Amino acid sequence: MGDSTNDIPLPISVPIDTRELAELVTIANRSKSPLIVAGNSSKLDWGGMVRDARSIISTQKLDRLIAHAVGDLTVTVEAGMKFAKLQEILATAGQFLPLDPAYPNTSTIGGIIATAATGSLRHRYGGVRDLLLGISFVRADGKIAKAGGRVVKNVAGYDMMKLFTGSYGTLGILTEVTLRVYPLPANSGTVILTGAIEGLRNAAKILLASTLTPIAVDVLSTAFSQHLEISNTPSLVVKFATIPASIAEQSEQLLAIGKGLGLKGGTWQGEQEQQLWSGIQTGIWGSTPVGCKLGVRSTAAVDTIELLDRSTANTAKGVIHLSSGIGAFALPDASQIQSLRSHCEAAGGFLSMLQAPVDIKGKIDVWGYRGNAVPLMREIKQQFDPVGILNPGKCL
Amino acid sequence: MLLAEKATARDWKPIIAQLAAVVGSKGIIQRREELITYECDGLTSYRERPDLVILPKTTEQVAAAVKICDENNVAWIARGAGTGLSGGALPVENCVLIVTSLMNQILKVDLENQAVVVQPGVVNNWVTQAVSGGGFYYAPDPSSQIICSIGGNIAENSGGVHCLKYGVTTNHVLGLKLVIPSGEIIDVGGEIAEMPGYDLTGLFVGSEGTLGMATEITLKILKTPESICVLLADFDSVEAAGSAVSGIISAGIIPAGIEMMDKFSINAVEDVVKTNCYPRDAAAILLVEIDGSGLEVETNQAKVAEICRQNGARDITIATEPEQRLRLWKGRKAAFAAMGKISPDYYVQDGVIPRTQLSYVLQEIEKLGEKYGHFVANVFHAGDGNLHPLILYDNSKVGALEKVEALGGEILKLCVKVGGSISGEHGIGADKRCYMSEMFTETDLETMQWVRQVFNPKELANPGKIIPTPRTCGESAKSAHKFSGIEQY
Ligand SMILES: Cc1cc2nc3c(=O)[nH]c(=O)nc-3n(C[C@H](O)[C@H](O)[C@H](O)COP(=O)(O)OP(=O)(O)OC[C@H]3O[C@@H](n4cnc5c(N)ncnc54)[C@H](O)[C@@H]3O)c2cc1C
Repeated sequence: MGDSTNDIPLPISVPIDTRELAELVTIANRSKSPLIVAGNSSKLDWGGMVRDARSIISTQKLDRLIAHAVGDLTVTVEAGMKFAKLQEILATAGQFLPLDPAYPNTSTIGGIIATAATGSLRHRYGGVRDLLLGISFVRADGKIAKAGGRVVKNVAGYDMMKLFTGSYGTLGILTEVTLRVYPLPANSGTVILTGAIEGLRNAAKILLASTLTPIAVDVLSTAFSQHLEISNTPSLVVKFATIPASIAEQSEQLLAIGKGLGLKGGTWQGEQEQQLWSGIQTGIWGSTPVGCKLGVRSTAAVDTIELLDRSTANTAKGVIHLSSGIGAFALPDASQIQSLRSHCEAAGGFLSMLQAPVDIKGKIDVWGYRGNAVPLMREIKQQFDPVGILNPGKCL
Repeated sequence: MLLAEKATARDWKPIIAQLAAVVGSKGIIQRREELITYECDGLTSYRERPDLVILPKTTEQVAAAVKICDENNVAWIARGAGTGLSGGALPVENCVLIVTSLMNQILKVDLENQAVVVQPGVVNNWVTQAVSGGGFYYAPDPSSQIICSIGGNIAENSGGVHCLKYGVTTNHVLGLKLVIPSGEIIDVGGEIAEMPGYDLTGLFVGSEGTLGMATEITLKILKTPESICVLLADFDSVEAAGSAVSGIISAGIIPAGIEMMDKFSINAVEDVVKTNCYPRDAAAILLVEIDGSGLEVETNQAKVAEICRQNGARDITIATEPEQRLRLWKGRKAAFAAMGKISPDYYVQDGVIPRTQLSYVLQEIEKLGEKYGHFVANVFHAGDGNLHPLILYDNSKVGALEKVEALGGEILKLCVKVGGSISGEHGIGADKRCYMSEMFTETDLETMQWVRQVFNPKELANPGKIIPTPRTCGESAKSAHKFSGIEQY
């Protein structure tokens, strides 16, 4: 990656198994040599800049399938397994991992967990945190530890799975993980509502308060709707994946809601539908110099998209997943970061500038932490990595 | 058994004076006969009288009280409704119990954003009651939901009969206001499921009161489905019921919940609760709740019924109306209580197994019961493999408890051996800590201890729970990794 993490090229080590990985970490710890922790480096540039890194350590060779317990709907893999590869394996049993991360073809499972990277499917399946059942990891001192287990329900010991999800490789290097998987839905259909923001705001509100059972509900900015060849207005994109009769019925109900609000409506299916969702999944990250993850209360989702449109004269691609209020923006530069961030914070949320050129990251706070828990988080980092060799500076 | 060390008696007077200044003299319980209530939680075989109970009303009062404990090096334990089944709220010697029964306000209901903010002493089903008028509900529904507190649910990461599709407590918590053992007030998470920084909300849920006390909790609520149906199927063998569960899951259907009760539990419930809807001669029944749009429910209900029949179900009863549905659930939810009525004492285990191992494990449990001469009833969350073997016994018989605990221990080891866990939802507490080393290595446990070290460096908050120590568990505190070379889960 020509990236903003470090402008100087660094040596990369690619251990072939957990033991070798552990040895390399032990050495780095002993010699106080900070490491950049990577999977397949698809998101190496996400987050803060790593300080004083001497080398990159990658888990990409730890890519074995350990066990796919089909009847138990769980899968255990090494953390360097590619997401795409895992989906292929699961699909042979009619199952899938319900995540839609930014870089589906290159991402490793470990990297997806470390960055909590998922998108539209949050609506039905929750975030990465909700799917992770067990982890093994190499600690900063080189010892191998684990937490959780391989069963879908388990409260034995602290929930380190939650602690590690989204911790950006700063607490340990994941080596093996167990995830909950789901049956692949056999059918799907997507309803798209487009038109004036006022209508979309009301449609979103009615939809959330309804008993309809979509698996994804996204609000897209004008530029993103144009990019995906949906419309020249912002849009509300809703995916149903259930039995065909119910897809048809629910789609009709939603179209009727849209019609009542003066919105244009359409249904997409098959190839076209698939391309649409893959476009939503991959169309933001890396497409412009500045990429942000944000969160707002769900009632503020449509307004936030409107603000994005207004403040960028309809040029910025953006998506917000309606029920979680989590979303992503692709911005040409950092000029709007502060105002968008204060808007998100006022709406109960945050804005993190995950991708940006090095000079911008040097000037503007990347994460936008809120609240009074940061000192406690730093103490956790200190406790887990006292020498500071695992992605120091990446976050916290 | 607890090996509480004898500490020298503490002079409580000055501490009581300080605490009284915070919670008022009415907020302090110190009379022996009143303290008896707080000697144990739902695991009644362990008892220890607390020296003092305080009843704060606000976060600030909790923070001030915890600070006083910190300054005086007094151990303290949070307690909700005391229904925990792992001795989580069991007092230790010379401790203060901080009880949340007066922190019982629902602070905010935001239907549009589908969130509710509550104090920890709010009872689980009050949340659903508060939002059901608007067509919403709070999904995690432990069978103790009419008494257990949300604070206790947070601490244990409680589950319920509706957790197969929608997840357990942790999947429904957005944010927490915490008082950590230093007495500081910390906000973690918030109104949105993922905030920048470490997920301390997720870390805190399930930490059993060892990382601090939750004083305000933001919960996610869900829209009540358009259509709900409960299906009761009865089988003449437990294996047949087990295969029906596997059949439903492999057909790609995820019901809201799938529960199983064996013959003994069915009869116990019918004797005590008299629901008159469970067939007494069945070897096992399944209760399956299906929800969604009307069409979805209709289709899936037919599919589930068909799968049950293919696996040998005799009768299938279907309930769609709320009263009928509640009637079918009532016996299941009263199962533990029914055991308490028909046997002087019962000991419930909470192991989890991969659901494909169900038949094998149930047979093994029966054999173990025979070996120890105790009857083991089974009523459990079949959909996610979370067993609740109930061992019936009489605690007044000398040596009975020790034998029951040994039997319980063997069941837990069996769960670990087949790739499962020693607890699915009741927590480790004081009860199962000595079995943690069956699942985890010394390094694993040391890493967990790191977490506690950060939040609770003096070990004043719920000392001795969860992680085994030589003091609490003797030799078994050391990792029992007998199967070297293979990872144990
Ligand atoms: C009949 C019966 C049926 C049950 N059914 C189920 C079931 O279906 N599913 C299930 O999961 N459990 C079940 N349980 C177990 C129990 O009800 C749950 O564990 C419940 O969450 C405990 O809540 P409580 O308020 O009684 O907590 P308590 O027993 O008072 O405390 C439990 C733990 O929580 C800690 N704690 C309490 N409040 C706080 C707080 N505010 N902050 C931090 N820590 C705190 C305590 O220190 C302790 O460690 C059942 C129990 C009974 C008796």
